[in-house]
Amino acid sequence: MDTISYIRYYLLLVVAYIKYLSSRAFTHFEDYPFETRTAVAITLFSTFFILMMQVALFFAGIRRNKKERLRNSIIYRFGKGMAWILSEDASQLVTNDEILEAFGVDKSMAGKELLKTDVEKKMFAQVFYMDYITEKSELSRIENIHRMLELFGISEFLEKEVSLGNMRRISDALHKLRAFKLPVSPWVVNKLLNSRNQHVQRLAMYTTIMSSSDSALDYFETDFFDKHCCIRDEIELAYSLQRRRKEGLKLPNLARWANVQANERTQCMFVRLMRRFNEVEYCGELRKLFQESKKKKLIEEISRTWGYLHYVECEDMLIDTLMTQPDDTKVAIMHAMTRLGTGKSMQALLDGFRNTTNPHVRYEAIRCIYNYGKDGRAMFHKLEKEATEADQKYFAFFNNPITLEKIRLDKEQAYHPSVETVFNG
Amino acid sequence: MWVTFYHIFGIVVFSYSIVLMTSYVILVFMSRQAQNQQDINVPDDETIKYMMQGSPLTPAVSIIAPAFNEEVTIIDNVNSLLQIDYPDYEIIIVNDESTDRTMELLINEYKLVEVPYDIAMRVPSKPIKRVLKSTDERYSKLIVVDKAHGGRKADGSNAGINVCSNKYFVCTDVDCIIEPMALYRMMWLVINSHKPVIGVGATMLMSNGCLVEDGRVTEPMVPNMLFPMFQQLEYLRSFFIGKIGWSRINALPNISGGFGLFDTDIAVKSGGYDSMSMAEDVDIMLRMVTYMNNNGFEYQLAQVPKVCCWTEGPSNLKSLTRQRIRWARGLFEIVINHKKLFFNPSYGVIGGIMLPYIFIFEFIAPILELIGVIMLIYFTIKGGVNWNTSGIVFGMVYSFSLFMTSFVILSDNKAKAVNWKHKKISYIKLIIATIIEPFMYHPIVTYSSLVGYWRFIRNKAAVWAPIQRTGVKKK
Repeated sequence: MDTISYIRYYLLLVVAYIKYLSSRAFTHFEDYPFETRTAVAITLFSTFFILMMQVALFFAGIRRNKKERLRNSIIYRFGKGMAWILSEDASQLVTNDEILEAFGVDKSMAGKELLKTDVEKKMFAQVFYMDYITEKSELSRIENIHRMLELFGISEFLEKEVSLGNMRRISDALHKLRAFKLPVSPWVVNKLLNSRNQHVQRLAMYTTIMSSSDSALDYFETDFFDKHCCIRDEIELAYSLQRRRKEGLKLPNLARWANVQANERTQCMFVRLMRRFNEVEYCGELRKLFQESKKKKLIEEISRTWGYLHYVECEDMLIDTLMTQPDDTKVAIMHAMTRLGTGKSMQALLDGFRNTTNPHVRYEAIRCIYNYGKDGRAMFHKLEKEATEADQKYFAFFNNPITLEKIRLDKEQAYHPSVETVFNG
Repeated sequence: MWVTFYHIFGIVVFSYSIVLMTSYVILVFMSRQAQNQQDINVPDDETIKYMMQGSPLTPAVSIIAPAFNEEVTIIDNVNSLLQIDYPDYEIIIVNDESTDRTMELLINEYKLVEVPYDIAMRVPSKPIKRVLKSTDERYSKLIVVDKAHGGRKADGSNAGINVCSNKYFVCTDVDCIIEPMALYRMMWLVINSHKPVIGVGATMLMSNGCLVEDGRVTEPMVPNMLFPMFQQLEYLRSFFIGKIGWSRINALPNISGGFGLFDTDIAVKSGGYDSMSMAEDVDIMLRMVTYMNNNGFEYQLAQVPKVCCWTEGPSNLKSLTRQRIRWARGLFEIVINHKKLFFNPSYGVIGGIMLPYIFIFEFIAPILELIGVIMLIYFTIKGGVNWNTSGIVFGMVYSFSLFMTSFVILSDNKAKAVNWKHKKISYIKLIIATIIEPFMYHPIVTYSSLVGYWRFIRNKAAVWAPIQRTGVKKK
């Protein structure tokens, strides 16, 4: 019998003794009033739980030390190999023998189980994952990493983890699979997509999208998100789309997806993604949505997208609608007009400045006029000369070198296929 | 008649204690559930950073830190804020017309020059005199607002909101030491919620006794001094049981003024901070909740279970009582100003459960304790106290508070919320603090609360005075 078993038996004895003492205590206070008996009961139960928690703390300490030792051992044995495979030195495709050599494993071990237990595999995966997300070189090759994970049995182990019932372990393993872009069996994905936990459900979906190159985006052909779309969905989708673009694949029709969704937040997300990925081709499909929608945020996002993507066909619609919109939307529409820069919207921008009381809108109108080509700049100087004392404050921004830097409308950059982005995915 | 009153009072107090303890046990369960949920939904810091740092879609945040006469620590603290690890943020230091060299130091250190500022006064604050920015590219995130003296932190925070340009803002104290990953931890909850998150609270602990290196707490320790040690225990209990537990049912009691994140739009639409309030952090949260409920909008309030911020707490009796008197006044103000929310289920769980709980178990508790003490003294003199029963009841309360502390220690250990330098010593100190707390600390807190209530009733003018700082250990 090992030490842990001895401790377990000892604990059982302690529990039995406490139970015996409690029954004695209750018998002792039998004749006392209800309040006293309740107080005794609470005292005893509190004491019991305190003892239990101290024991739990003791075991947690032992477990932590054991894990720490295992972690150190993994780093000592395989740390150099991990650093090598994540560095530029492994930028070429390498053989299994080379990987084994770098990890200090004898070549005769090829095909055998290099890590004996699941605990070792879990720790190896954890240590490597941490290095991968913090120290990975841009030049390291994912194929080499996949091969190494295969050799150490990590791919198989992670797949086994995600097919378990423990949500925490599933979530943990899915994060690793997603980062390493390892494929997951379709039946496991289907199971996870029906999970009650939304986080796990989404993680499974994005892991699949990340590791497969086709058809995985079919989820969005229907109102998949319902009302449950969050900013993270947009981040994850942007990673996946970016990856597709890098691989030279055509992006799906995001405008169609925007039209399919019922929720404003989701619609806005797809419209924003169109803008970020320069999807000019489908801009026209947003016209109907713009005309029929009464959703303020959606109108803002569509206007911004048209502006960024230089969809000049929409300009008349923007001019017509400008003064009927609430203040925030007005600002978005004026920015779009400025980006289109066709010269048709000068009067609308002037209306934005003259016929509004909100100081923020007025400032933004002036900013747009300033950026509206040569005509706009001339109009800006004319307005500056004519400005009343109260209006002078709007023009002060343009005379200061620090704030002048922020005057240009370029805070949000659209992506371009030729531009390498900083995406980790 | 006195004896009958004594008996009735005894039954009331006993029932009150039992209900209170039951509610604590429920909170313990809710807190456990919330932490289990977060174990699944919130990955480790490195994963969060990996997911968010490279994405231009990560929402930008403005950090607002009002400062008044902070010449001793201002440069260290601004440097600490400038080191926060987050892809897109701006820092807004609001100088509340300091009478010392705070402004001068800022101008010289960061090469600040006056710039025009956004004219929209979205929430009421004392006039902004000037806005300054640095000519040095390294400090481009820094904005310093020089405003007319408002006398309250809330006024400074409002001025900061007027200047901030991001969708979310964090309100903090200029003396707080912020964990490098704090913004990632908070924003992860925002980006993962399908409901609009209007506020995120962060776990805050005392920096007293901790070792600070380059504006970072490198060796967290439970303070050796008694008052800070008690407060550390109180903070741990409040965050690990109270706030996390309440956050499970979307009923966070407050988002700490020391470090809390809010949605700028909703804060502006709710009127911003109440410049006259002594509990501006609870006040703004309740205003936002009222706004969301009145308009029928869905919302989410979240709490980060890991420590995000360290603050220096009062280390002597005078500062402590002054702080607690202020808090008590604040609580009274909240009860009066937001009375329509209390016991009102149309304001959701907050109006129907959380605020009644605060009213019964936090607001009324000091008054009941006062009556209890008077009765005990009276009947001790008269000889009518059953000491055996009193001893048993005292034992019950004592063992229960030890149970709560054990739970907090276990939660902290499991969630790895704080990376204590000497874990065992820290935990032993917390247990010692629990043992002596009822005799030393609790009476002071109760006394301060009663004084606070009394001053509020007498309408005695409240003055906000910063606590006397002893500084933290630096390497």
